[in-house]
Amino acid sequence: MRFLFRSLKTFVFILAFISFSSPLKAQIPVGKGTISGDFMLNGMFYIPDSLIGADKVDSKVRANSYMYLQYTNGGFTAGMRYEFYLYPLIDFEDIGYKGHGITHYFADYKNDFIQVTAGTFYEQFGSGLTLRTYEDKYLGIDNSLLGARVKVTPYKGITLKGVWGIQRKNFDFEYLKRKDHVRGIDGEISLTELIPQMSEKGFSTSLGASFVSKYEKDEDPTFILPQNVATWGARLNFGWKGLRFEGEYARKINDPNATNEYIYKPGDALFASLTYSMKGFGISTSFIRADNMDFRSQRGTPANLALLNINYIPAINRQYSYQLISNYSYASQPNGQVGAQCQINYQIPKKTKIGGKYGTDITLNYARYHTIDKTMLPIDSITGSQSGTDGYTSNFFKWGKELLYQDLGVEISRKFDKRWKLIVAYNWLIYNMEVLQGHGGMFHGHNVAVDLTCKINSKHALRLEAQHLYSKDDLGSWVYAMIEYSINPHWFISIGDQWNYGNADKSRRIHYYNISAAFAIKTTRIALSYGKTREGILCVGGVCRTVPASYGLGLSVTTSF
Amino acid sequence: MKKLALLILLISCTLLSFGQEETKEKKLATIPSVDIKALDGQSFNTINIDNDGKPIIISLWATWCKPCIAELLAIADVYDEWVEETGVKLYAISIDDVKTAARVEPFVNGKNWEYEVLLDINSDFKRAMNVVDVPFLCILNGNREIVWKHTSYAPGSEEEVYEIVKGLVNQK
Repeated sequence: MRFLFRSLKTFVFILAFISFSSPLKAQIPVGKGTISGDFMLNGMFYIPDSLIGADKVDSKVRANSYMYLQYTNGGFTAGMRYEFYLYPLIDFEDIGYKGHGITHYFADYKNDFIQVTAGTFYEQFGSGLTLRTYEDKYLGIDNSLLGARVKVTPYKGITLKGVWGIQRKNFDFEYLKRKDHVRGIDGEISLTELIPQMSEKGFSTSLGASFVSKYEKDEDPTFILPQNVATWGARLNFGWKGLRFEGEYARKINDPNATNEYIYKPGDALFASLTYSMKGFGISTSFIRADNMDFRSQRGTPANLALLNINYIPAINRQYSYQLISNYSYASQPNGQVGAQCQINYQIPKKTKIGGKYGTDITLNYARYHTIDKTMLPIDSITGSQSGTDGYTSNFFKWGKELLYQDLGVEISRKFDKRWKLIVAYNWLIYNMEVLQGHGGMFHGHNVAVDLTCKINSKHALRLEAQHLYSKDDLGSWVYAMIEYSINPHWFISIGDQWNYGNADKSRRIHYYNISAAFAIKTTRIALSYGKTREGILCVGGVCRTVPASYGLGLSVTTSF
Repeated sequence: MKKLALLILLISCTLLSFGQEETKEKKLATIPSVDIKALDGQSFNTINIDNDGKPIIISLWATWCKPCIAELLAIADVYDEWVEETGVKLYAISIDDVKTAARVEPFVNGKNWEYEVLLDINSDFKRAMNVVDVPFLCILNGNREIVWKHTSYAPGSEEEVYEIVKGLVNQK
């Protein structure tokens, strides 16, 4: 086993090395294959600022960096990524994403019938309720599996997958000492491909099912813990013309762990969406209910770390890129949430009186999450808590009393002529800080955002972004303004300021200013920035982490070849 | 330490080689074979990205990415002319994950886009293409070889894209 891992690593390394000794440029031919890759460096020089809460850090210069190389030759691909996070940005240090080494390496062969992967890999079964391994460099998440994957297509329209592996745990490379591993199978049948008459009539249907099991040795002195925890899921996808339904239901057997306070209750989740669209109009609704579905490779992993997650319970609200409300983004609650969402996209037709020459786009959306309904069971006489019991019972069809999040949004986007374009947006937010951030009650806020672009000519453009968040809760009201000047195709210069003018504490009405310049050429981008970042949360896809306040000079380089 | 030394070696080789011009006949990369999804949820292999020998534009985007949408909107305004004059086809491949993937189709239709839209739900295609951030755009010639790539969007850069597409058509 040890030998297998080592030789795989060595092999990938040698391969990369040989190919690099020859003169190279973008997309390097090596024999009949090609080498490609990408590189990122995100560095920062930190300046302490006690007012905003940016403490002195032990190493002022810090950087996150990685390099990925990939060799492709027909159906064969091999790749490796070296990550250098020995002195990472302080937010990564805080979540323990620190170290260096080859964190991703694999060899993969693929043809029409079979795909075999050995090494670390990313995989998703269905919508991910039972298994999803992925990476997100901004959040410091990489829950890839080290092991093997086989995917076969025995007949057109039928796909079968099998995976086995040990999950990545930041920079802990002692995989062989681990007492946990994950295995799973997944099958999907596309009726549309199997039955040609269906697609002729405009129907599309597929069915799928998955089974995932985690093994982890029980060494607990108090409880007898299940060493094997299984989840299974079944899904359906149905479409007819503009109408589409997608749904998946998953269930997990008893899995006492740190996130559910060691209760023995089984978990389940339902995720469904129904959409309808035609040219110029689209409506999408979705629903999620998750009860005790936090599923990790190691049961002791604390809930506040996005580490060793085997499955993925999505948050379904709309994801905004507006600065001021991003701090109140909803974080998915796999152990208890029920939510629904509806979004309408409509285009007032082009060349009409109201729509204007280019048409006017309107987006309306509403999302709401509650806790799940819970009736607590009597406490355990030995542990003196719910631990060791089934914890609670929950009525599937009842929403919990506590509101977690609500968002009502309107966005109107209109291009007036070849020069001017305007986006106006309004959001009404309610955000349960107590549950989602662990402090401070309910947050109510109203946000207005304006984004105006002026394309001066084909080379020069100016963009102005202004936002106002009105609130009496948390830190009070904020304003934000940013001007970005771009000189096509290489230069981007921007200056912006976030001002917490409504803070109840007058000494904390701070300006968080930021100046940045970026240079882009082909697939390379180099950016320099200087300024202050407020303490807050960063969310991507409903997964969030806290970001400490910081002040300093940043450099970012990304390239791919 | 050994790994670090190797890495430094690798990086220095890369840097050294940047200064050298390609002397051999340039071999262009093609699109990797990755299984992603069509909007109707059916599997779609990216080697099937095709436009009958005419140029192809591939854009990697997401419903939460503002510059991506700005770029696709800018192209949408002139897309009819582009298609008419060059026969070009644009594949808009969304990297929205499960959270927002169901909203892609209503979004695209709501904006009246005529693009071929595909879903790369777990970023498998994005990784295989070595894309660090979106928006990412690349142009393929009639033989489906990648002739041009670009990251980030500045208003007006779509005009450069069109110049390259026109160049490909006129070469023939």
